[in-house]
Order: sequence, then structure tokens, then C-alpha cells
Amino acid sequence: MMKNDTVIDAHNISKIYNPETIPVFAVNDVHLHLNRGEFTALVGPSGSGKTTLLNLIGGLDRPDTGNILINNIDITKLSANKLITFRLNHIGFVFQSFNLIPVLTARENVEMIMHLQKSQRMDRDTRIKQLFEEVQLSDKIDSRPSQLSGGQQQRVAVARALASKPQFVLADEPTANLDSKSASNLLDIMAKLNTEEHITFLFSTHDQRVIDRARRVITLVDGKIVSDTLPTSTA
Amino acid sequence: MILMMAWRNIWRNKSRSMIIIFSIMLGLFAGLFVVAIYKGMLRSKVRSVIDREVGHLQIHQSKFKEDYLAEYVLPESTALVDITQLPEVKLTTQRSITNGMLSTATGSAGVTILGIVPNEERAISQLAEKIIEGDYFTEKIRNPVMVGRKLARKMKLKIKSKLVLTFTDSTNSIVSAAFRVMAIYESENTPLDERNVYVFRDDLNKLLGIGSSVHEMVVLLNRDEDLDRVTKEIQGMVPSLQVDTWKNLSPETELMVDTTNEYSYIILVIIMLALAFGIINTMLMAILERTRELGMLVALGMNKVRLFFLILWETVFLTMVGCPFGLLFSWLWINYLNRNGVDFSRFGEDMMSSFGFTNVIYPEFPYDNVIVIFLIVVITAILSSLFPALKALKLQPVEALRK
Repeated sequence: MMKNDTVIDAHNISKIYNPETIPVFAVNDVHLHLNRGEFTALVGPSGSGKTTLLNLIGGLDRPDTGNILINNIDITKLSANKLITFRLNHIGFVFQSFNLIPVLTARENVEMIMHLQKSQRMDRDTRIKQLFEEVQLSDKIDSRPSQLSGGQQQRVAVARALASKPQFVLADEPTANLDSKSASNLLDIMAKLNTEEHITFLFSTHDQRVIDRARRVITLVDGKIVSDTLPTSTA
Repeated sequence: MILMMAWRNIWRNKSRSMIIIFSIMLGLFAGLFVVAIYKGMLRSKVRSVIDREVGHLQIHQSKFKEDYLAEYVLPESTALVDITQLPEVKLTTQRSITNGMLSTATGSAGVTILGIVPNEERAISQLAEKIIEGDYFTEKIRNPVMVGRKLARKMKLKIKSKLVLTFTDSTNSIVSAAFRVMAIYESENTPLDERNVYVFRDDLNKLLGIGSSVHEMVVLLNRDEDLDRVTKEIQGMVPSLQVDTWKNLSPETELMVDTTNEYSYIILVIIMLALAFGIINTMLMAILERTRELGMLVALGMNKVRLFFLILWETVFLTMVGCPFGLLFSWLWINYLNRNGVDFSRFGEDMMSSFGFTNVIYPEFPYDNVIVIFLIVVITAILSSLFPALKALKLQPVEALRK
């Protein structure tokens, strides 16, 4: 039985590539438990399985063994279509290369998620205004991604990740393509969201700046968790 | 939102979208042009058959068409005179006809000999206008004959060449007479040019021994639309005679008229297949290029139905842009050609006339087919986008995001 503040509860999850020939354990028997409001960094060398683990938790990929419970729902048992809807309503994603839709404005990129959720126009407008204030981009709301800097694009991506009011946000190397100032600015925003709105963040990262800001750091090596520094505080 | 994304997506790669739009325009134009040419050809053929070959209808003894015996002449009847007085009737002429053999020093050929009244024939079949060499019937030479260009070439006949026509008269005796070529004609129907020779009706009647009788009455009406009604009326006036419309007399033309749409649509389907492969290829490229983005959309929660319609709408929009331009271009071009004609003789002198068509065709914009053709193009475009759209549905977000 999970506690009420548990967001992610993953048991014995493994992801094996080439199981028939030369099996490679991208994720090897991992247990992971994340509570609401955590600000956690998943670190490890390249090829250690960080992105794979993030994909499994985010329901973008399916584990070969184990269960992943998000808000008490075992996402490994959901059909492909239900998993898409689940991702839409429960998980926010921030990608390394921003992945904004180039033909949509910043506002439309965020609004698209709410549109997929079929939320009302008035609710959308209010939420978008709030989100752009939070990511400090109210003046760029009608800009196309190509008119924004990398840091600004990533902040729009954060706003998009939060648009659906998800239980947690998975961020895969969010600062990897940003300069120090933009990275610092982005981290400030995410930390503020975490502190003030208790939004749960799980990052995969190499970036020391992210690691320094995280309150919990999980280290992966060869698909296994080798260390897990517990949260110093949870909101 | 999906519609807006689809609309904006098509302008991301303008050159590629323009290629699809141009393909759709070209497909629509090709479809309409084929039908327009076909309609123009048919109209020309029907007009040629009515105005220059058989008239709207013909009256014969019921057995005459079986073996063209000289004895099967039209009876002396006031009804035949009454027919000429009908208000719907524009012109009539009466011909004597027999099948026979044309012989020259170089050889012989089977021919149909038509005995005509030149002034009436000039009006009813525009025979004088078909002359390419020599003069229309004159009394200056004895037994003049008018032969077609193809027959003249085959038999090496020139103006003033002498030839012998041999046939059976009304008593079933073989008769021969010498004629002299006074004109060579060329019509739109090469096979007929090779077969029909024209002589004075009086000259032929004398040889056939039928006095002033005739075998055929040709009727030209003022309006094509009156054909069925007037045919019934005339048949009522001469119940013992056979009344044939141009449709019976030229069944191949009637068949062509009846099958216009079928033939046009077969050609259209072939054109559409080419269009379909073009669209499939280009839309597949568009999807492969956006694999990562489409995978990201699925990752963020866009379900596959929406993704499918996103791709489908992109094609629909491309079609909606291409079709109006295609229609406009087709309308302008076909109407231009309708005024100026398309001369097919540059592709071969007898190419069209061998099949009974004029060398110059005036395409007609197919107003009554335009909706069907438009729908065929739209449906082709949409069906062509199904494969790329289904391909997009198979995208796994985690794989797509790695690209």
C-alpha cells in the first residue's frame, strides 16, 4: 500500500536489449520510490541507463520486468492508447532539445496540451497566463520557437510540461543545450515551482549545476542504482 | 488546433508542398482536359455524322440495306413530299445508291456509288466543301464522278482520269459505264472516302434502269433535340418504309457517345494512379522528416487518431489549395483551346480522320463532369495520404525521440 504522497513507485524494473542474442541490461532490477514535491536528479555516466529509466517511468517505453505504479496505477498494464491518455494527464516532459512545435507560437505550444485535454477556453487562457508568468516569458507568448533563445525555448517547454497539471515532471538533460545563465535561470524557475507549488521533478543529468540544486541524487551505473542520497527536505 | 497545425505544417517546406499542389493541379487539369478533348471529339464526330455524312435520319425500303439491290426503290408517295414540308425539317435530298466495282488500268476496288442532286447535296452534306482538287459537278463533261482522296491515291486517279463503274441494274444485269474524275474530295472519315463515289443521280438512274426513282431520302432537321419525336412522326407517315436515325446508321458514333464517361474515367483513373504515387512519396518524406516531432506529440499525449487526422488534414489542405487553381487553369486553358482548336494533323495527317474525326478538335469544358472529376482527385489525394498517415501511427515515441 502506497502512502498518499507517493508519486512514483517502481519495483524490480529491468529493460533488456537484445534478449535473444547478447543481452544488454539498460536498466537492471531497479527500485525507485518518489514522493510528491521531490526535486531529484538521476545521474550517472553516459550509457548508464538514465534516459531509459526516465522513459520507462514516463510510460514512453515498457519494462521487460517489474511494475511501475504512478498514483497507484500500474502503467505497465495499460494499453497503448490508455498509456497515451495517462501521459497526457499525469506526466509532464521536458526534453534536452526543447522539442517545441516550430509552426506554433509559444502560447500555442502550451495550449496544445490543454486542447488535447479538452479543457475549456477560459480555463486555458487563465492557466496559460499563469504559466507564462511563472516561466517569466509573458512578453514572448506570441513568439515562434525560432524567435526564442535556447533558454527561452526550454522555459516554454517547462510551461508546456506543466500545462496539464501533471503529478510530476520528467526532464531529460534539460540544461544540456543551454548556456550557464540560461541554465541557472531555468533551474531557478523549476526550483521555485517545486518549492511553491510542490511540483515533483525528476531530472536525468550530467550537469553539476542541476546536481547541486537537487535535494536527492540517484546515481545509476550499468543500469543499477549504486547510490541514493535521500531528500534533505520535502515540501 | 489540429487543423491549424496541419495548415501551418504544409507551409513548412514550401517547395515540397508546391510540388504536391502542382501535382494535384496537374492531375485535375489532365482529368478535365482528357474529358474536354473527348467531348470535343465526340461533338465533332456527331456533327460530322449528321451534317456531312448521314443527316439526322434516312428513309429506305425496308430490304434495301440488306443487299443494296437496285429494285428496292422508294415508292411514289405524297407522304415523302409531306415530310419535306414538316416545320422541323430543314433540308432533304434523295439519292440513288448501288454497290459496284471501280476499275482503272491499274486495278479495281469495291465502291458504293451515290447518285446525287449536286445542289441539294451541297446543302445537306456540304459535299462541295470537301473538294481538295477539281470542280464540283458541272455539265461540261459527260458522266462526271467525284472520288475520295484515299481511293484516288490507291487507284492512281487524277482529275480527268477515266474509270469504269460496274454494277447490277434493276433487272439484275451487269452494267458498266465509263466515268471521268472531275473532283477529288477529302472528308473527316477516311474509310468513307475510300468507299464512296458520287455521280449525277440521273446518270446513275439511267444505268440502273429505275427512271426517276430513288433509294434513299436524307432528312436534316433544324434541331437535334427533335430527332426522336420527328422520327416517330415520320415513321407514322411512311409505316411501310424503314426510318433510321443517325444513331442506327452510325452505331459506332452512338456507342462512343454512350460510353464517353466510362472511357474518360478509365483514363482519369490512370492519371490518378500517377498522382497518388506522387502524393504518397512526398507525404512519406514529410513524415520521415518529422519523425522526432510526431513521436514527441505522441509522447506528450496526442492520441493516434488525432495524429492520423493531422496527416490527413495536411493532404486535404494541399488538395483544397491545388484544386481551385487546377480548376481555374483548366477552365482558362480549355476555353482558350475551345476557341482556337487543337490541330492533331501535326501528329499525323490521317491520325484523326482514320477514325472519322476532324483533325482540329475543339475541347469542351466538361461542366457536367467537373464535380465527379473534382471528387475523384480529392478522394485520390486523401486515399494516397492514408498510407503515410498509417505509417505515422506505427511510430513508437521512444524510438522516434531518438532520431
